[in-house]
Amino acid sequence: MVTLDGWKERGVISPEQYAWLDGLTRREPFSVFFELNILLYAGVVAFVAGLAWTVQSYSRELGDVVVLAVLSGILAACLWYCFSRAQAWSAAESPAPSLVFDYVLYLGALSWSVELGYLESRFHLLPGQWDIYLLATACFFFVLAYRFDNRLVLSLALSALAGWFGIRIQYWPGSSEASYRELAILYSVVTGVAGIVLARCSIKAHFLQTYLNLAANVFFLAVLSGVFRREGYAVWFLFLLAACGASLAYGLRKKQFSFVVYAAVYGYAGVSSVLVRGINDSVGVLGYFVVTGIVMLVLLTKIARRSGRET
Amino acid sequence: MRAYSAGDEENLRTLGLLNDWTSEGFLSDAQHLTMQQDVPCGLRRTNVFLRLVFFLFTLISAVAAVGLYFAVFRPGESQGAGVSLLIFAALSYWGAEAAVSQKRLYRHGVEEALAVLSVIFLCVGLELIFFARIYQSRAEFIVPGCGAVASLLIYRRFGYQYAFLAAMICVAFMPHYWTTSHTAQHLFIAGAYAAGLITVIRARRAHHFDFVDDEYSITEALLWLGIYAAINLQISSIEQLPKWWYSLPDPGEFSKSFYWTTYALIWCLPAGMLWRALRGRDRVVARVGVIVAILTLITNKPYLGWQRHPWDPMLLGIVLTGVAVAVKRWLGAGEDGIRRGFTARRFSAADKRFQNLLSVGALATSPGFAPATNSDPTFSGGDTGGGGASSSF
Repeated sequence: MVTLDGWKERGVISPEQYAWLDGLTRREPFSVFFELNILLYAGVVAFVAGLAWTVQSYSRELGDVVVLAVLSGILAACLWYCFSRAQAWSAAESPAPSLVFDYVLYLGALSWSVELGYLESRFHLLPGQWDIYLLATACFFFVLAYRFDNRLVLSLALSALAGWFGIRIQYWPGSSEASYRELAILYSVVTGVAGIVLARCSIKAHFLQTYLNLAANVFFLAVLSGVFRREGYAVWFLFLLAACGASLAYGLRKKQFSFVVYAAVYGYAGVSSVLVRGINDSVGVLGYFVVTGIVMLVLLTKIARRSGRET
Repeated sequence: MRAYSAGDEENLRTLGLLNDWTSEGFLSDAQHLTMQQDVPCGLRRTNVFLRLVFFLFTLISAVAAVGLYFAVFRPGESQGAGVSLLIFAALSYWGAEAAVSQKRLYRHGVEEALAVLSVIFLCVGLELIFFARIYQSRAEFIVPGCGAVASLLIYRRFGYQYAFLAAMICVAFMPHYWTTSHTAQHLFIAGAYAAGLITVIRARRAHHFDFVDDEYSITEALLWLGIYAAINLQISSIEQLPKWWYSLPDPGEFSKSFYWTTYALIWCLPAGMLWRALRGRDRVVARVGVIVAILTLITNKPYLGWQRHPWDPMLLGIVLTGVAVAVKRWLGAGEDGIRRGFTARRFSAADKRFQNLLSVGALATSPGFAPATNSDPTFSGGDTGGGGASSSF
């Protein structure tokens, strides 16, 4: 690389840096980190899929004791591996002790999910109260995710929590589409606030974007479902506009452009659905999309230039 | 031929490397700033999120504009509509060229959407002009053929890898118009991709570790993947798909020799890919090599017509993790974790982003996300993943 030579001669980089970076440009050494991660992730997912399928197909032949012993054994082995090799807990981002570490924990978490499903289906320990299982699982996964700094398990925790919200709604009086919408908004607010509070307390602050992206998408989808209604959509429309403004402001302030995209796409979909429903001829609808499409392009170009994201 | 100067594109590659090295801590921020100033680039770029939105809104407004033209002027018969679409194809291409030459847009979304639309309008226009009133003509291959050529030109002109992929897809449609023999169709597609692969491999020899090499790396990986997909009949043949569920050791309409040759090839191809990738230190081909190797393991039983068992995925998982652990240990035993020029250590911020992406995948595929409404104790289902406790067992 010609420029590297020049930077070395000018003393911008040290000879050691030059040697290292020059090697990297020639892929020397060649990192297989990505390939090993693909193998480990696919391996764990395939293993647990096969485990669940086998338990489902052969539970009667194998018997409860064998099934539970195997599943508990996997969970215990995974937890023992993680606790025995993990470094002391730190509130800051801490790298995994080894390449396989995160996937061992992921395997343990997934095995626990299979075991829990089996336990309830066979023994009905808490009949009709799946929500308790899900809440307990979510808490367990949150603890693991924060103890071992694992995003994979954090995702599982957030999804288990969403499952808990989903089941709880059945106990609401007269649960309906509107209830699900309100529940989704509640879920997004809870996860968003939790993520912000934890980040403010400097507890694994790097997880914040996971929380916020999830919360934003759930919130926008819930509000949009309200905007798409034929009647009583005005409140949801105002909610959408407020959310778009907040998302846009946050995205620009923090240079998180995924939030600018959420504001643009969800906002455009919602506003268009309200405006287009009043137009009956195809020329008007198509004309609307031509004009608004161009307007959006101009606005986004200005935003990109202002925020310095266009170079 | 190329819309951008080699210097600009090489500088963009260098800027990318500098960002990557700074993220990984190989350079200080001060060094990064100084070095960045030495790498001028006059192209206007944007980030991936805005690029997607620019693409989307350009697509919306351009398609709506064409729709508006048809709604207002009603060109009527198919030939008139086809000619109109050809004009729109030319206009779209002109727009893409203008965006690049005058506004210096580079992977900006706007010019990409216009270039993509030019190919789509061209294909639909040709179809309407020549084949709208003809049922199943052999000459209809002209439509995907022109699509392939136009996509290739877009790829050469602007360097969009997905345009090359589009060209490959168009090529895959062509033999359907010439022959009903599935064997001939698979052979033609694999042969066309193989010819492309040879061309790319030859062209790559003149480039080492520059932006052209990076680009050819993706092109080569796509071609390997295309050849594999054409050869693996369990993936690309609709006739063979039922064998995934029923044990039928039957090559169907394919001759036995062809069937078993493809079986041998699906084992040879991943090995060949990985060998070439590791020898040439080609990251993209190596990754695709790993993926097709996994696909070969998955499709092995359907190919042989062997009975599938519930524990098969477990065995696959054990094999995959076993290979990963063995390779990692072997590399880790070397001095400073490096053996024969290979290491399991991470040197690129892109690899970290990939890890984060896996967690998004874990979230998206998790059944716990869907509200569980059934606590049926009949032990059916057995989903895994996520707070899979919501699965109905």
